[in-house]
Amino acid sequence: MRTRSVITIPLTALLLAACGGDGDAAQEAVPGLVIGGDDASASGTSLYQMPTPNELFSLVRDMAGEGHRRMLNPAANADRYVSRRARAVNFGIYSTDLVYASYFKLNVEVARYYLTTKKLAESLGIANAFTDADFIRLESNLTRGDSLEVISNQAYMRAYERLQDEDMGAVLAMVLAGGWVESMHLVIRQIEAFGSNESLMARVAEQKVTLEHLLFMMAPHLDDREVAALHAELGAIQAIYDGIGEVRSAPQGPSASGRMVLGEDVRLDLSTEQYQELVRAVDTMRGEMTRPEGGDNA
Amino acid sequence: MYRMHHTLTLAMVLLLAAPAMAQSPCTDYHKFNCQRSGDKRFSINGQSKSAAIQVGNETELNIIIYRAQDYRISVCADARILGEEIAIRLIEKVREPRDVEETVVTREPVLDAQGVPTGETREVRTRQKQRIFEEVEKVLWDNTAHEMAQEVEFSCTATKRIAIQLIASGATDAKPRRSTKEFDIGCTGILVEHMPTPGLGFKK
Repeated sequence: MRTRSVITIPLTALLLAACGGDGDAAQEAVPGLVIGGDDASASGTSLYQMPTPNELFSLVRDMAGEGHRRMLNPAANADRYVSRRARAVNFGIYSTDLVYASYFKLNVEVARYYLTTKKLAESLGIANAFTDADFIRLESNLTRGDSLEVISNQAYMRAYERLQDEDMGAVLAMVLAGGWVESMHLVIRQIEAFGSNESLMARVAEQKVTLEHLLFMMAPHLDDREVAALHAELGAIQAIYDGIGEVRSAPQGPSASGRMVLGEDVRLDLSTEQYQELVRAVDTMRGEMTRPEGGDNA
Repeated sequence: MYRMHHTLTLAMVLLLAAPAMAQSPCTDYHKFNCQRSGDKRFSINGQSKSAAIQVGNETELNIIIYRAQDYRISVCADARILGEEIAIRLIEKVREPRDVEETVVTREPVLDAQGVPTGETREVRTRQKQRIFEEVEKVLWDNTAHEMAQEVEFSCTATKRIAIQLIASGATDAKPRRSTKEFDIGCTGILVEHMPTPGLGFKK
């Protein structure tokens, strides 16, 4: 049985190192091991990494026209996310907004969302992912879009790594759920603003794969009630994706770059009705996630 | 007395923390030990990862690769412990639907000739179709068929969930005589690089 864990391997290694034990087996090399063979340990370890939002935005930027700040979750709401779930989910949402703003050169919003994300990071105990030095760098580079992308992406990565290192798997799961929903929301809104576009629709369909990945990542934390609830809500979106027809075919020749093509070509046939169903599900979930709570977090 | 107790506690904390400190260098192993591509168009992908792995123990890193991107995946490891060559396999994970039929047993009231319930019930068995989803693994590349290459470059024409599976056979040269498990655990880095798939030929 393969165990799924983003963070357990260092702990396992640490325990093994601490416990010592019979090292005779360790003294001998194990020649000719085959992955998936009988000689490999039955209890392998699975690590999961989620792509950063910039990967998706860099793919959609060229086909999606300009960015729109009205699509972002208003920064003023940040103080009104009080519960752990709301803070974690909206940290994911705001950090995705930050990356979106930097990719679509919404420079004023980059500074605003950097500070907003930093505020929520502090409330989650990962404040040092967003440093004052970086903010100064950010301010001095406001006219240089490329630098903003790099700085905002570095901040996102630091926060992500910090959550992994600090054993905050449940919080990370909620952050990633918020980030996934916001990425979907932003691409869908781009389609609305830019007009129906086959390439953008295809990217929405492909998010099926990232959602599957996210649900696997969340699975080890289902004993956390809040993660379990989010997992169930995302499961409902997965059910819509499951209805999409999928056609697999052998790749037609080498790629344009001359490199080998890895695996099959896959075409996902997302109908207009299924797309609309996805839009409704994402809108409902995001609306619920971004709804301000009663108190003040400041 | 207080000072002695304090010193003892400190010593114990340091003793317990030592293995942890010994493991911590793995965190950024790929950043400092895996060789970057000579092609400057490749940029480091945020899904790159380092971890401590054990000889003979299968470890996999699950990532997403996007359509219309080229990737380079390279593996670097502490050869003194894990050996010169790591077995590497790239597999695609696909969620495939399968229709299954199952028997559902229910009880329903028994009716008399006039259609009035008699108060008795009977067992009714019906066959129901149900769609379930199974995780299927497809091997896309295996370095044992490529002279144990420790890196691979490819184009991705469809967004996929892949796992980079690793297994280390261990070093073959003489090892220290100390018999502890820690000598079969070493750092491994998986460096993922990507760029938009470039086209060949002249552009108009």
